[in-house]
Parts: sequence; structure tokens; C-alpha cells
Amino acid sequence: MAKTKLQTERPTYTSEYIPTDAERAVFLGNPVLDNLMSSVIALGSEVWSTRRRMHVLEALLEEKGVTNDMIEQYVPSEEQQAKWEKDRDRFIDLTYSPLLREGDLPVTAPYEHDKS
Amino acid sequence: MLNRRSLFAAMGAMGSLVGAAFTSRRAQAGTYTSTNLSPRGDMAPRGSNGRFERIPDLDLESKYDFVTGFRKFQNRFSPLVRDRVEKIMAERGMDPQTPVTMAQAVELVKDDMLVQTSGRTWISNQQVTWKIFQDYYHEHAEEYLAEMEAADNDGPGTVELNPDLEIPDYIRHEIHIMPGGYVGDPFAGHIYHHGTNSFSAGVSILGDNEQDQIQIAAAEKLPLPADGQVKRILDLGCGIGRLTVALKERFPDAEVWGIDVAGPLVRYAHMRARDIGVDVNFAQRNAEDTQFPDGHFDIVTSLIINHEMTDEANKRVVREAYRLVRPNGYYYPIDFRTVGDKNRASSQYRRWWDHRWNCEPWSPGFVAFDFEAEIEKAGFTINRDTKPVMFGFGARHAVKSV
Repeated sequence: MAKTKLQTERPTYTSEYIPTDAERAVFLGNPVLDNLMSSVIALGSEVWSTRRRMHVLEALLEEKGVTNDMIEQYVPSEEQQAKWEKDRDRFIDLTYSPLLREGDLPVTAPYEHDKS
Repeated sequence: MLNRRSLFAAMGAMGSLVGAAFTSRRAQAGTYTSTNLSPRGDMAPRGSNGRFERIPDLDLESKYDFVTGFRKFQNRFSPLVRDRVEKIMAERGMDPQTPVTMAQAVELVKDDMLVQTSGRTWISNQQVTWKIFQDYYHEHAEEYLAEMEAADNDGPGTVELNPDLEIPDYIRHEIHIMPGGYVGDPFAGHIYHHGTNSFSAGVSILGDNEQDQIQIAAAEKLPLPADGQVKRILDLGCGIGRLTVALKERFPDAEVWGIDVAGPLVRYAHMRARDIGVDVNFAQRNAEDTQFPDGHFDIVTSLIINHEMTDEANKRVVREAYRLVRPNGYYYPIDFRTVGDKNRASSQYRRWWDHRWNCEPWSPGFVAFDFEAEIEKAGFTINRDTKPVMFGFGARHAVKSV
């Protein structure tokens, strides 16, 4: 994650900070795997934001005449919010449930159908 | 947007009505939107839901919604991690219930890929959370900095900023891996507000905390001093001021102060309190050396600051609190229970990677620290009959006897 110090002439009341080294963390034994996992999660946020906007559009298109301002100002009903959250959880389940799999067979594991 | 300064100037000749306007504004806090009573310079392009200004962009809100949903999904790792840790311990001939140190817990699971996937995904999701908000506010920096400038000298309430304040090193870290930490980004308050709401929604039974329900519940549960007198209250390390505001709402006649070393946080705290219409005072000051007179406060409190401080700093804060509390008043620091340096292995591993990779430098030290003993050493008497004001946290109702 790139961190850029904000360039502004306005007062910011900030001070020097001590940066974390979390960007360099390797949890999965291979930095490529770690990076891939981070990309997959970021991708999820992008895909979900597109889908959520579609929900807004679909809801608005049921009404008359749609403008961008109307889309931005749209406030979901409690019922819509509940429905959308359910869809979000389905989306997350589909995309990330594989992370819960407890794989334990090496690629060279014996296969019962192979001839010895 | 309505210019509140003009409004109040026009009403200046009708002093009594000014008070009425404040009352009216406070009464409307629950329905405040950017189009009815927006303060001068207010940025709330999508309006408000109660006291929460809606996330200012639909796609940003949707990404927030995603990372929040992902936090809830992450809870499904917890039983799996616990089972894996206990299985590994059993394989090594250990009783899975045996309390272990953090180092022992790390050694047990460091090569377990499922456990590591749990940590990796949590940190990656946290990084996305911070990045989407920092990117947004930096992209719109001039508008949001102008909004804070407009609020700096506007009321109700005040903010005192001190760019020359010496910031202790322990709080300069990027705690929670938030970019720039509390002190290094001008939008630390904005970014922290949304990040902590997402965290709450993921782990708390009280939900996303958009209406400050966690702080309001805590303020409601704080005890009264024995004589019932509450004229002045201090919130140490107030951050974005949610508890400070909730305290003023519970004790409307009291003078309420919130202090924090982080300039961006107290600026945001003041702007938000002013938007809500609550008259509190914020100051960029250090809880170790507050500059207030002896015995000045009936109640001194704080919310989850102690685990973000070194043991030595905590000792200094406790001594300062004792100096500040008037006789028969009390100090109530709200923070984690202290449980020593050994615990169940899965809990210890969770605490370790939160410490190591989510940048909680001082949390394990605090949990192993005898905080209650330090409070009593300063001169307070802890009332053991008082229940915790927050579920799962320590009960530290420390009374200053006459």
C-alpha cells in the first residue's frame, strides 16, 4: 500500500509517525501467496462495490427518470438493506469459503486408482 | 447550507432566543441532515443518518460494506483456529487447556497454513479498509481541510490545538496499521472513525456504532460520585470524542473536557461534536501532564487508551489522574482486563498477531501489567462492587477518599 504524505499549504496539525513493517509480512511462506491473497480481498471490494451500485440502479430504475445525483442520494430501506447484506454474505461465502478448506494432501499423494 | 454564524448574529439582539436555538438544534440532532441545519463549511454530500454523516461516496460506502462483511466472515476462522491449536497441542502430548505464553503459542502454529491464512486475510482486509478511506480523503483534501478550518473557531464547544506539543514516541506508531497512525495523517479522525465502526460491526454485539451506542452505553453506566455532584468531567485520550460527547449528553450541566495528544483527532472530535450540537471542550494535551489544576474534576475517565501506552506511561497517567480528581470523586479507566502473561494458546496466538502485525505494540504488556495495583499505589481505593461499564472489560472504579 503506497503511502504518500499529503501535500497542502493548509495547517494539518500532524506529527512524525513511526511506520509499521506490516507491508513486509509473509504469513503463507511465500510472499507471492501473501500478495495474491491481498489482491483477492481488494478485488472483492471492487466487485462488491460494483454489485452494490447495481442494486441501487436496479432499485431506482423501478421508479421514474434516473440521474447520477439520484443514485448518490439513494437511501436503502431496512428491507432492502437486509436483502443486500444477505447477498453480500452469499458473495463472500462463494468467494472466500475456499480459505477455510483444510487441504492436507501433497501434490504427490498416492492415488488409489493408480497401479503400483 | 445555512450559515450558522449569520443566523446567530441576526439573533444576537434576542439573547434568550439564542439559547432556544441551541435547544432546538440539540433537539433536532437525531434528524440533522446536511440540508437543514448544516454548520458553516459542513461537508456531508450524502446527508446524515442520525448523528452519523453518511460515508461521502457510494462506491466508498460499498467498499466499506464489503470489508465489514469480510470481518464478520472472519469470525468463522475462530473455531477452526482453536481446533487446530488444540490438535497440535494434543499431538505433542500437551493438555490443550494448558495456559501458554505468546511465544509458546506462536511456536505451536507458525507452520499451520490455515491459521496463517486467518491472520493473512485479516491483515489484508484491514489494509484495504484503511487504504480506501485514506485515498478518498487525500483526493478531496482541500475541501475536508477547509471544513475542519471552518470548525476550528466555531461552536458550540471549543478546540485547543498545540502544534508544539511533544508527542510521546509510544503513540507515534501506526497503531492498528492505520496509515500515519493517530498523529501523522491530517484525516486520522475521519479514517479512524470509519475503520473503528467497521471493526465494531465485525466483532461487537452492539453493531456498527454509527450512533455512538457503545460510548453512550458506557457513559450511562458510569457511577455517580458518592455525593452525586458532577460539575466537571475529563476524558483522557479522547480520540474522536465519542465518549466525551456521550458524557456531556448524560451530564448536560457539567463542563466536559476531552484531551488527546493527536492534533488530527481532537480537531475531528470538535468538528463532530459541533455538528451534533454538543458543547464540549477538546484540547491537544498529554494525559500524563494535563495542565489542569489539582482536584479540578469530579470524574476522570478514558476509553481504551491504556493498552496503547507503555507501562511507565500508564503509571504516570494514573498519578496524574489522582492529582486531578477531587476528594470523593473518581477515576474510571475503561480498558481490557489484565490477565497475566499466560492464557489459552488460541487466545495467545490471536493476541500475538494483533500485537505483531496489527501494530498493537503495548497491548500484551498492558494485559500482563498489574494495573489495579498501580491505581491503588497512586492512592485510589477501587470499589470492587462496581460492575464493568463495558462487557468484557475491567471494572476500575477508583475512588479518591477524603
